[in-house]
Amino acid sequence: MILRPRSSIAFKMMILVLGGTSVVFGVILLYSYYSSRSFLLEESENNARNLTQYVARRIEQEFRSVAKATESLASFLETAKCDEETLLTLLRRTVLRNKEIYGSAVAFQPYAFDKGTRAFAPYYFRGKEGLKFEQLGSDAYDYFTKDWYHIPVVLKGPVWIEPYFDEGGGDIMMTTFSFPFYERDANGKKGELRGIVTADVSLEWLARLVSSIRIETSGFCFIISETGSFVTHPQPKMIMRESIFSLAEELKDPRVRHLGRAMIRQNSGFVDIGSLPPVGEAFLAYAPISAVRWSVGAIFPKSELLADVTALHQQTVLMALTGMGLLFLVSLLVAKSFSRPLRRIAQATVQVAGGNLDINLSDIRSRDEVGQLAQAFTRMTEGLKERDFIRDTFGRYLTKEVVNRLLESSDGLRLGGEKREISMIMSDLRGFTALTATMHPEQVIAFLNRYLGRMVDVLVDYRGIIDEIIGDGILAFFGAPETLEDHPARAVACALKMQIEMDQINALNEQDGLPRLEMGVAVNTGAVVVGNIGSEKRTKYGAVGSEVNMTGRIQSFTVGGQVLISEPTYNKLADILDISDVLQVQMKGVPGAVKLYDVAGIRGQYDVHLKRQEEKRILLSQKINVAVQRVDEKTVALTEASAWIDEISASSAQVVLAYEINQWQDVKLLLLDDQSRPSAGEIYGKVVSVTQVGSHYVANVRFTSVSPEAYQMIHRLEQAT
Amino acid sequence: MRRIGTTLFLFALLQAFSFGAWAQDLKKAVLLPQWVPQAQFAGYMVAVEKGFYREAGLDVNLMRGGPEKPPFNYLETGKATFCTDWLSNAIQKRAAGLRVVNVGQIIQRSALMLVAKKKSGIVRPEDLNGKKVGVWAGQFYLQPASFFRKFGLNVNVIPCYSSMGLLLKSGVDANTAMWYNEYHTLLNSGLDPDELTCFFFADLGLNFPEDGIYCMQETLESDPAMCAAFLNASLKGWLYAFEHKDEAVQIVMKQADAANTGTNKVHQRWMLDRMQDLILPGDNRAEMGKLKQGDYISVGEVLLTQKLIGSLPPFDQFYRGPK
Repeated sequence: MILRPRSSIAFKMMILVLGGTSVVFGVILLYSYYSSRSFLLEESENNARNLTQYVARRIEQEFRSVAKATESLASFLETAKCDEETLLTLLRRTVLRNKEIYGSAVAFQPYAFDKGTRAFAPYYFRGKEGLKFEQLGSDAYDYFTKDWYHIPVVLKGPVWIEPYFDEGGGDIMMTTFSFPFYERDANGKKGELRGIVTADVSLEWLARLVSSIRIETSGFCFIISETGSFVTHPQPKMIMRESIFSLAEELKDPRVRHLGRAMIRQNSGFVDIGSLPPVGEAFLAYAPISAVRWSVGAIFPKSELLADVTALHQQTVLMALTGMGLLFLVSLLVAKSFSRPLRRIAQATVQVAGGNLDINLSDIRSRDEVGQLAQAFTRMTEGLKERDFIRDTFGRYLTKEVVNRLLESSDGLRLGGEKREISMIMSDLRGFTALTATMHPEQVIAFLNRYLGRMVDVLVDYRGIIDEIIGDGILAFFGAPETLEDHPARAVACALKMQIEMDQINALNEQDGLPRLEMGVAVNTGAVVVGNIGSEKRTKYGAVGSEVNMTGRIQSFTVGGQVLISEPTYNKLADILDISDVLQVQMKGVPGAVKLYDVAGIRGQYDVHLKRQEEKRILLSQKINVAVQRVDEKTVALTEASAWIDEISASSAQVVLAYEINQWQDVKLLLLDDQSRPSAGEIYGKVVSVTQVGSHYVANVRFTSVSPEAYQMIHRLEQAT
Repeated sequence: MRRIGTTLFLFALLQAFSFGAWAQDLKKAVLLPQWVPQAQFAGYMVAVEKGFYREAGLDVNLMRGGPEKPPFNYLETGKATFCTDWLSNAIQKRAAGLRVVNVGQIIQRSALMLVAKKKSGIVRPEDLNGKKVGVWAGQFYLQPASFFRKFGLNVNVIPCYSSMGLLLKSGVDANTAMWYNEYHTLLNSGLDPDELTCFFFADLGLNFPEDGIYCMQETLESDPAMCAAFLNASLKGWLYAFEHKDEAVQIVMKQADAANTGTNKVHQRWMLDRMQDLILPGDNRAEMGKLKQGDYISVGEVLLTQKLIGSLPPFDQFYRGPK
């Protein structure tokens, strides 16, 4: 069949629509064809019959007037005796006055006109050069044996004679009306037959008459006599030679014979005669000329008779075809409007399956179901893209496992959490906030991105989960959601690695003329709540709990380059850690001293060690005056105290102050020039220890941030020694 | 190719030579049929057209017959070498002293008939009693007259002429007709066979052989071989016509059209078909062209009865054709 399962929708629709409408059109067309055909045919038949009858009547008129003229001459001859001269005058007048009469004779019975003359038959006829006269009685033309004379004599009544060639008489093909006349006695009673009055009608004249009757057809008329013989016919060789019956015999068609018999029986009718060369398919209408018992037949070519039907149906078919054509186009367009976007979506689906999510279905503009499908599809690819984006983006902060867990498990994004022991890292840049105040914003971002980029890479390497990045600070944890048995070791190793990375960052910063930065990192281990934190609209996977806060506090004790870990962490890793120092610190809300371990390295599986530079402080021969500003909660206090530095290294200095300062106090050191004016050099740092020496306090300050000017100055001093 | 060409050339040469030789030796003869050109004479026309007479050493001029040319007059005056005519007519001529001889009897069976309209209530001979019957005069009246007498019929005889007009116009109830001619004309005037009653005189004990070939006794005696050759070529013409009817009808139509007889092909075809029935009754070829003495005597008896002849000429004098 045409419709296969694999055929396109457009094709199926087209075939179904066209097939359906073709059937409907076809049925309507056939119905209208047959109903209008029979209607028009009936009308055509009536027209044809009427036309034929008209021709028959028209000819009949002529025959009747011929008969009348003959009859009146005969009745005159019966009522009045007339001499030869009168007879000839009458006869001549009869022919002259009746154009339809070719010739007329008064043929007397033997010796009836003149007792001495056997044959007497004066005859006037239309010769080639006008009216001619002849006496018909002769040896060569024995009129007594002629049908036109003999038959009425035997019949004793008027008769139309079968057409004949009047050899020796009129010498043309003719038919003759013969009217016998009789002796009349005084009472007008019929006596002996005296003779026959005749009037001839020329078949040629008749043929001209027939052809002068205009028939609106390319068919033709013919007349057959009482015996079926052709009297007029477009083909002259048919006339008087063939009859409708000889034609039937030649055609071996009994229907023609049947028709002929109907015609000579003076019927009228209308028949389909099939193919008739050279006319083609034709109908025949026939009607009697009753005066002579002849019949007129008229041939109507079907093509002509059915011209109206044909024209009508040509138009109908044309309209149907045009309609079908338009329907074809419309159904093609409609089908295409369905199938094209569907095909596009199918292609897009294949692309999506292949991993390409850059699908543009914006050309599908329709708002229908297909359009909705396209929109939905677009939204789906956008969703997929977003997911991939999330996966890619998270991948920078989270391990693949976390991302997968979050994205692929339906539980992944469920709010709520679980309590779990994890290790946390918190890092912060020493004095970065204060430093940014003096930097160009673009520098800040470039600087921060470089720093954060490196740190995130390291964290991801160690499979840490980044909980939060606030400015320069990072909070990350290990051991959730992915369970990691060695989370304390990972956290510590990661912290050490981050510190090592800082050296490289600083090297790059130095090249770019950016200040040197120091980072402090704290590591803590403890039980916290982990899970999706936030609202339905904004959720993050994070950790909460006092141990998180604790980690922040530990971090606040760090100085640049330092990794401080809590006691719980230390306890888990004591065997493999290199500890450079143990600090006893007081913490808000924590009674007693808290032990913090300054880690220099970790052995074992991770094996990361800080490059412990043996820092040599330069003993300054000329003290550097500085103004010391206290920095509390990232703000720099207005109060300055004059002090000086007597020992300095790249990372720390010994500052002698005239007033007391607390351990762990963050400070900003403004380097002063000879005239005690602040120079460009400035250093951020943290007081790691304070000793009172007399009225002065000697503070050991670890640098967290050193301005390039200050760094250059320190560098010069190192060179000098 | 060369050989074929040479052969053809030699053949043509031979033909020309022999034809020339024949042309020199051909005996001239004139044939006058007793009526206008029609299939009644197809055999002679075909023999001329197909060269059968020439093959027999005769140069035959086929005259156009007609009512104005009485055949025996033409024989007597020498305007025709041969003629065709009815046996009855020829016997009368011979009996009247004209030295004509029959050199071949072509039509063995009489085609003359009476056709009646069933509508007039005529189905048996006795139905003709009191009816108007159109009859032709002369020898055509011999058989009807004998028939009426034989059946004791009292009919109203209307003399009629060549046409069937009276019967068709119901001027008469029955009419004489030739089976091969007027009967078919009636059929092709719209009358169906089942509307007509046919009385064939041949079936009523009145089988008068019709067309025979005649010449003057002197012609026969001076050149009997020529007469025999003429008969044989004529019979050959007839056989050819019966075997090639379409061609024969064409030949007839050519002659008929030239004589403007106003006939048509189907009519001539009918006539030719009937000729076969009449010339070769029972397809008996051995008897073709022969006059049977019995037929001769029965015709003679009718002529004697009707006093048309005083005595019947001896058969052997009259008939000089093949025995």
